[in-house]
Amino acid sequence: MSRRVLEVPAAGASLAEGLPARKAALRLAAALALLAFLLWPSLVNVYQVSFVFFGLQYVVLASSWNVISGFTGYVSFGHVAFFGIGSYTTAILMVKLGWPWYLTLPVAGFLAVAWAAFIGFPCLRLKGPYFAISMMGLNEVLRVVALSWESLTGGGLGITMPNAENSVSTYYAGLAVAALTVAMCYAIAHSRFGLRLAAIREDETAAEAMGVPTTRYKMYAFMLSAFWPGVIGGLVAYKLLYIEPDSTFFVAITVNMITMAMLGGKGTALGPVIGAAILYTAQELVWWYIPWLHLIAYGAFIILIVLFMPRGIMGFFIDRGWVAKGVIQ
Amino acid sequence: MVERTPRWVYAIYLAIALGGVCLPLVLGWEGFVGWLAQARSLATFDSLMQVLVSGILQGGLYAVIAMGLTMIFGVMRIINVAHGEFLMVGAYMAFVFFTLLLPEELHSLFTANLGMAILGVGVVLLICLPLTFLFGMGVQRLVLNPVVGGPELTPLLITFGLSLILINTFISIFTSDFRAIPYMSGALVVGNLALGYPQVVSFIVSAAVTGGVFGFLKFSRLGKAVRATAQNSEVAMVCGINVERIYLYTFGFGTALAATGGILVSIQLSFFPEIGGIYILRSFAIIILGGRGNYLGALVGGILLGVIEGFISYLVSQGSQLQELAAYTLLVFMLLVRPQGLLGGIADE
Repeated sequence: MSRRVLEVPAAGASLAEGLPARKAALRLAAALALLAFLLWPSLVNVYQVSFVFFGLQYVVLASSWNVISGFTGYVSFGHVAFFGIGSYTTAILMVKLGWPWYLTLPVAGFLAVAWAAFIGFPCLRLKGPYFAISMMGLNEVLRVVALSWESLTGGGLGITMPNAENSVSTYYAGLAVAALTVAMCYAIAHSRFGLRLAAIREDETAAEAMGVPTTRYKMYAFMLSAFWPGVIGGLVAYKLLYIEPDSTFFVAITVNMITMAMLGGKGTALGPVIGAAILYTAQELVWWYIPWLHLIAYGAFIILIVLFMPRGIMGFFIDRGWVAKGVIQ
Repeated sequence: MVERTPRWVYAIYLAIALGGVCLPLVLGWEGFVGWLAQARSLATFDSLMQVLVSGILQGGLYAVIAMGLTMIFGVMRIINVAHGEFLMVGAYMAFVFFTLLLPEELHSLFTANLGMAILGVGVVLLICLPLTFLFGMGVQRLVLNPVVGGPELTPLLITFGLSLILINTFISIFTSDFRAIPYMSGALVVGNLALGYPQVVSFIVSAAVTGGVFGFLKFSRLGKAVRATAQNSEVAMVCGINVERIYLYTFGFGTALAATGGILVSIQLSFFPEIGGIYILRSFAIIILGGRGNYLGALVGGILLGVIEGFISYLVSQGSQLQELAAYTLLVFMLLVRPQGLLGGIADE
């Protein structure tokens, strides 16, 4: 008797039957997409390679923001700080110490993690809006430090790196970083670790009572969400060969990653990727065709997404049963 | 069972804090000594008084701006990132009034003496405040009302989108050039102090507006309803207060206060569509300093920040950047050490 009950799931039956075929199709699509990404630089011109590179940058940023804010529920409104730390680490190591660019990237990532650990311990005790404001304030602190510590960061003049032919190398590095970030998010979303983060997001006191060491897990999530922005920040600095404080610690980049994650569906592994791809392409198109409208349209777009699609595209898919409802969602 | 934080974590923080203070002192000892000598020569009684009073005048302006923010924050639990842009709208309204609407011949009327200068600002306020009040109510009704009481990220993003729209609309209309309005120049001399007329006007108007807001909240029925909603919106609703209408009015008041701040900025400094960014984080620092939703706290915090900034920019040679840092550091420090603010804010739910 009991066995039969287990064997006949009522509502999920059609979903479960379609699952193997769907999984195979998804794997095929993923493999094709990966192939297309790998071949991309040999098919198109330099501008199009850069276009995809900056798209990948946003995949990394939105996915990383999602780890602390989507999975764990602590809204970081200054996540660009880690990106900026990575940028400055790479630029300073390359120019002052003459390191090759690929060696600076891990250092950039780990410095971002170190900063996350340093500020996370006190700041992650703050709840809700206070955490968001403190992150925003700390980002401004870093911006002003970068602006005034002229001997190290060049102040407002910024740092110019020696010229290099870097279009293809940064593209592949960016692709690798994006793939690793998404893989990390996927692994978190399908692990006990991710479940614990979700428990913290839903009710921190209850999670604590159920035996989740919340302080430690919040710290882990925060540090994980800082690493890849640091790495991609370094990579973007090398790609642009020039950085300065105002465009590196730029609030709009934080808002970009948040909006992208929201558009795709925060709290899902794939949402930020979809959101980044769509929003970045749309932004570039509007910027290209109607530049004066670009930011006004973007502002209106943010408001519309937040009001009418708070669960994002993945939420839309889940409601229709096209994607299995993960435990994390 | 809450985990105990291991001792070594605190030890690391202590070491970093000590290192952060001592290392620059040791490395830059000569510079530090030089700075001390320079600061000592600058610090005469008269000049310090001058800095103090100017700081207080500036702080009055900060208080008005922060009061609008703390009102919205306290009643609706919304972080209004677009507050600086509401301020910018006020500044441009004053600009339109003084340069486009007001005939050239009447300019001299408003620069004749202090009384007329205040009257000029008063006229602008009379025209602008109802408009911005309505504007704020419209914003609340259209985009913020559905998300009050939801997760904090939503209003944060909505108001950010709003600020993008406002900034770029104003850039398309007025370009991103610096603007200034023709206003009374010169200084009022009181004893050994010289205070610029625009600053004095700004402080007088700020004081009047602040007093008005206090009186309104303390004595009027509507003000009491606003305070009740801030304390506990559910109980307020049970008591027969139309909470949604209170939200509507609160956002209108907050917007109008920001616009008042903008008008007062416009008579002192030149401005541009992105000027809001200068004031928004300072306002956050002030309301965290004073206590969230605490109006007296906004006043104290505003004046404190004005005075601190004044002293920093006077005594330190590269003061302007350090001055910015003061607000941000104060913000983060207060959040970590005493998140309820100096005077205590409304309780967290």
